[in-house]
Amino acid sequence: MSVFDVLLQQVINGVSLGAMYALLALGFTMVYGIIELINFAHFNVFMVGSFIALWVFEAMGFSGQSQVLYGLPLFGVLLVGLVVVMLVTGFLGVAIERVALRPMRGFPGTAPMITTIGVSYILFNIILLTIGANTLNYANPMPNVRWEIGDATLRLREVLLWVVSFILMLGLHYFVRYTKMGKAMQATAQDQEAARMMGVDVDRVVVTAFFLGSALAGAAGMIFGLYYNYTSFIIGYTAGLRAFTAAVLGGIGNIPGAMLGGILIGLIESLGGQFLEVRWTDVIIFSILVLVLVFRPAGIFGRMAPSKS
Amino acid sequence: MSTSPLEHARGFLPIFWERVRSEQWRRGVALVLIVLACAFPLIDGNEGDLDAAANATAFATLALGLNIVVGFAGLLDLGYAAFFAIGAYTYGIFSSYQIQPEWSSFWEPFQWLGFVARMHTEGVPIDHVHFQVSFWLMLPVSAVVAAFFGIAFGAPTLRLKGDYLAIVTLGFGEIVPIVARNTPYLTNGAMGLNGALPPQLFGYNFGVKSLPFYYLGVALVVFLIFVSTRLKDSRIGRAWLAIREDEIAAEAMGVNRTKLKLLAFAVGAGFAGMTGTFYVAKLQTATPEMFTFPVSVMLLVMIVLGGTGSVAGVVVGALLLQLLQSWFLQDLTEWVHALGRFTSIGFLERIDLVQSIELIFGIILVLMMLYRRQGLIPERMAVAALTHAQQTAVPSRGSKVGEFKPLHSQTVDSKRPLLEIRGLSKAFGGIQAVKGLDLTVMPGSIVAVIGPNGSGKTTFFNLVTGLTRPDGGSVTLAGEDITGEGPHLIVEKGIARTFQNLRLFPNMTLMENVLVGTHTRTDTGALGAVLRTPHVRHQEAAARERVMEVLGIFGNRLMPRREHLAKTLSYANRRRLEIARAIITEPVLLLLDEPTAGMNPTETLELTDQIRGLRDRGISILLIEHKLNVVNEIAEKVIVLDHGEKIAEGSPAEVHRNEEVLRAYLGRTATAAVRAAAAS
Amino acid sequence: MSQNRFVRGGMKTAAVLGVAALAGLGFGTAAHAQKTVKVGISLPLTGADAEDAVHIKNGATMAFDEINAAGGAGGYKIEYWVLDSGTATAGQYDPAQAATNAKKFAGDSAVVGAIGPVMSGEGKAMTPILSEANLATITPSSTNPDITNPAMAAQYKPKGKAIYFRTVTTDAFQGPNMANWMHDKLKIKTVYVLDDSGAYGVGIADSFQAQATKIGIKVVGRDQLNPKEADYTTVLTKIKALKPDALYYGGVGQAGVKLAKQAYDVIPTMIKAGGDGMQGASILKGVGFPAIAGWYCTNASPHVTEETSTADWVKKYKAKFPGAAYDDYTITSYDAALVMADAIKRVAATGAVPNHDNVRDALQQTKLKTLQGEVSFDANGDILQKVVSVYQYKENKAKPADDMDAQIPYIGVAPETPQS
Repeated sequence: MSVFDVLLQQVINGVSLGAMYALLALGFTMVYGIIELINFAHFNVFMVGSFIALWVFEAMGFSGQSQVLYGLPLFGVLLVGLVVVMLVTGFLGVAIERVALRPMRGFPGTAPMITTIGVSYILFNIILLTIGANTLNYANPMPNVRWEIGDATLRLREVLLWVVSFILMLGLHYFVRYTKMGKAMQATAQDQEAARMMGVDVDRVVVTAFFLGSALAGAAGMIFGLYYNYTSFIIGYTAGLRAFTAAVLGGIGNIPGAMLGGILIGLIESLGGQFLEVRWTDVIIFSILVLVLVFRPAGIFGRMAPSKS
Repeated sequence: MSTSPLEHARGFLPIFWERVRSEQWRRGVALVLIVLACAFPLIDGNEGDLDAAANATAFATLALGLNIVVGFAGLLDLGYAAFFAIGAYTYGIFSSYQIQPEWSSFWEPFQWLGFVARMHTEGVPIDHVHFQVSFWLMLPVSAVVAAFFGIAFGAPTLRLKGDYLAIVTLGFGEIVPIVARNTPYLTNGAMGLNGALPPQLFGYNFGVKSLPFYYLGVALVVFLIFVSTRLKDSRIGRAWLAIREDEIAAEAMGVNRTKLKLLAFAVGAGFAGMTGTFYVAKLQTATPEMFTFPVSVMLLVMIVLGGTGSVAGVVVGALLLQLLQSWFLQDLTEWVHALGRFTSIGFLERIDLVQSIELIFGIILVLMMLYRRQGLIPERMAVAALTHAQQTAVPSRGSKVGEFKPLHSQTVDSKRPLLEIRGLSKAFGGIQAVKGLDLTVMPGSIVAVIGPNGSGKTTFFNLVTGLTRPDGGSVTLAGEDITGEGPHLIVEKGIARTFQNLRLFPNMTLMENVLVGTHTRTDTGALGAVLRTPHVRHQEAAARERVMEVLGIFGNRLMPRREHLAKTLSYANRRRLEIARAIITEPVLLLLDEPTAGMNPTETLELTDQIRGLRDRGISILLIEHKLNVVNEIAEKVIVLDHGEKIAEGSPAEVHRNEEVLRAYLGRTATAAVRAAAAS
Repeated sequence: MSQNRFVRGGMKTAAVLGVAALAGLGFGTAAHAQKTVKVGISLPLTGADAEDAVHIKNGATMAFDEINAAGGAGGYKIEYWVLDSGTATAGQYDPAQAATNAKKFAGDSAVVGAIGPVMSGEGKAMTPILSEANLATITPSSTNPDITNPAMAAQYKPKGKAIYFRTVTTDAFQGPNMANWMHDKLKIKTVYVLDDSGAYGVGIADSFQAQATKIGIKVVGRDQLNPKEADYTTVLTKIKALKPDALYYGGVGQAGVKLAKQAYDVIPTMIKAGGDGMQGASILKGVGFPAIAGWYCTNASPHVTEETSTADWVKKYKAKFPGAAYDDYTITSYDAALVMADAIKRVAATGAVPNHDNVRDALQQTKLKTLQGEVSFDANGDILQKVVSVYQYKENKAKPADDMDAQIPYIGVAPETPQS
């Protein structure tokens, strides 16, 4: 492989990595933007979503990657999976908000975030204790199409990932910017009290945000499983920390920022791995997290977050 | 009027705990517990149980250390296990078979000191050395090394708010085990450190015997409980609690936030470093997986369960969770297995509850946060309520200002201006909050600053007291330029303030709130707090006496409530408490931001009188007020601000008549109407 | 207040549990008036290694149950005492927990020997304690050579006598022998080495790399995978660009499954090999064909599961543990239990009451025919019969998908020194 080919391939790898992180970061950053809560549970809702999608596909008769569909049937199967997953995880998110977070709303300091750590642990361990620690092969009806560009390879699933995450990002951004509910969300983000006084039903806004955010997490989980052909109880952990860094880098609370941050982190991961060693990737990414939070907490696109005093 | 039996009953428990809180009782309980702990091996001599107990002491000390960072100083550290790792590997580097450089004459002095040992292996031509620095020496050394890293990891978080701080510490907590794994020369990475040496005491080698480690662990726990308790009830502890409650207010009362936060990180990390050394000396090996995020979370669960901020609480939390893991769940599992065999339910026969410990952690965390955030043993026990008599007592007007003597040592030249402001400016984005402000305050005077809302009065106060940095201009106090200095330095120089929106420390008692004000006038450090030398004890007693004097200014309003939490006070009393807190900093200049807001006319008069009394005792006053009768009553000079600029200056009467002022307050048409009315 | 209530509640719970425990005892096995000895079994039954641990437990307990049913070892019934060395917090084995287990065994005078541990990281924590107590353990799967290395005797057997016996060959052989085999049979000239950052993985990758370098295979690179990470395409792309003849992976399935799947995408035609961490039902199921096809893996014991004597054993195993999988470590564990029982028998034959001292001495003298062949130990406790077996994944559609012998056929023995 020529140097150019290697570079191209690593860029493709990086953008794919990044699109996955961006997908995972979208719901997370949106919820943070509205209620300034770092929701640790988001990344395990993602993990649960991947399992749910797996069961849906298995229920439809698929197992492993041996049965392949094309065209309309493929689209139909994926759509069914997506709808089911998003509904289930959406409601899971609403349940979490209602049970564990609403009673904590308005509490100063880090108490709500600590609660999300607890919820995250509960989700993680329920899956671990019931399903076990094994890596499960994913039921995947997608065909394995690939194109060669010189010595580099571009796969269909990579292109689909980029397209889907970009569309979801645009959709979410449009929703928050231009729809009535979206504007209500922005108002709540700026000043909850004032929004309430303007007639915004803050409770409903928060529930909607959690539903949307968690549904997106679930969708990301399904896409993860289809992309990597596996799932396990641990997928929320590393992907979560990377997605978190992506959200912070792009500007936490900012939706296009999550996309940009994700791509950047993905590229850093692939190019860093190519030129240094893969074993240092975590250290590099955590260092970026620390540096951004210390020197430019607003990230690339973020507004200076109103201080919670 | 006698209290009903129900009130008696309800009153009993707080009084009981009041007694338990008393020194004698606490010492008694502590003694009993120590005796029990020492006797434990005699009751249960099983090596395995002793080993588990010794491990439990390690987690208790870790919980104590985390409590200092999270519980005392309010800094949520999600990567605390990193310091545990640092302490462990520091010992592992200097006292194990891990690093084996070749022998040369360079090592001779170290060999003589006993720090290295020369090894000869059959068939290997060159001898090697390995390090064997004494465990007892490494214990404090690891603490210092870990403390150093505590400062290094804490420094980037100083300006961050709660959850961002937590995330940064989480990041460091992830980085440390990865670095440990990737430096196999020092740590042997994932394969496990080779042969950390057990401690030796006067020739007695601890080896793998559980008993000496158990006693050592108990001794560590007792020692660290002692250090924690001493620190908590000291100038340092109060400063930490103040930072936890409201760091802006703490800084405004003279607490150096940076120094104290770093101190909290350092002390907390030091505890973990010592524990790391203890743990590795006992296990004789270490792997990076022993120090990962789940360990940090487990420690967090321990202190949340036990009671964040409560020394006894976190120890109880740690021991409970360890007991749960190593004894209770195993026994419960066996019981469930037996039940399963009896009822032939296969699921019950096979279930292992020990594996679900992490699930239990998550549940504990959520339940405690939702329903009992103060933990099992709250930091503060209930305090006896005021008696009926006290509650209905006629408030006595405190005019004890006469007995209150300011102690400031600066001699103020009464002919030169005390405070000189020249051209002070500050803009926030596009808004010019303060513009070209000139102001002089003579010693022993009361100057009032008035103006419509949004005219920049509070910003002006913030600029003078260092909460905000000015864009331009100068602030001079008694000839010394203090422009742009940090708030705690300004307090030291002699300017104190109250806040428009009240910034008390809600979960600290009145006594503690005011004691924080003495921070700049006392000098007990962490070491002094632990050792409690006569100088420190004397300072503490003098400070408390001083607090009583200051509280006495306000008659019986604050004094009977001095052991109550500040958040239980009425609005007016809160204002008084803030003033008391500001006064005790021994200011030459007191900045009061709407001190009578929310007070009724009687209370307003009372406070006005007290302010005048303070001036008579030598404290100059700069006052923001909206109540014009107060301004007229006590102000010698009035400054009027509008849109950040001074539009008038003079005596109250002069300012009243000023056109500009009228226009600023009433608007042009209204002003014309007023003048027309006055003329007719 | 809450504390009072808590104390009272605690005592009530303790009382209930006490009664229940007594009741439980009543439902337990009835006490026999027979002579018994105890054997401790410490395994990480919690966490990432749980599945392997269960297979090993099955092997050992099956052997002990058979022996007990036949009258015991030298007339002594073997009571096995299983303890978990894994904690949920560690997510895998916890050296501190393993040490506590070792202390429990050492503290009980009825315990004459132990089976386990599974992972070498636990072994390092257990051996000083076992050595101090002169209590011997036989491990069916711990392969890190440090623990029985005479140069490290001061750390791992301070009292001098061997107490860590193995029915499996160490990484000192598994990795290097594979390097030899790849050099001979596959004519590998260049290789890229990966590990999964775990104790086992790093150890075997290191020993493979050292031997490869020694015999003239160029190691073009070495890197480490994060088992929690999902995506290894970066390092695989890097490897693809370097074009080595082969990829060697030291590590277990958590990273291995993902690596195999993604390697099939990026470097489908490159030769890929791993250690015993890449062999097993969970790998087969997790990766599946065609992705896993062609992968070589090794095992630090002779291949016996297809011999007729073993076929009978397999039938017995399937009957006793319906639905459970087995692998070569189940066999080494079974053999370890046989060896332990044999030692007890030999002690009993001299008329002495078995205790940990004489059982340890008896173990040292072991010469027993087991499923994997003859087992005897050298002075350090390592097994004398050092055999490394090589296998390759190859889909056999005629046989069931979970038949390991069919889907991961045996190829041959990896030599101790290169033959060419």
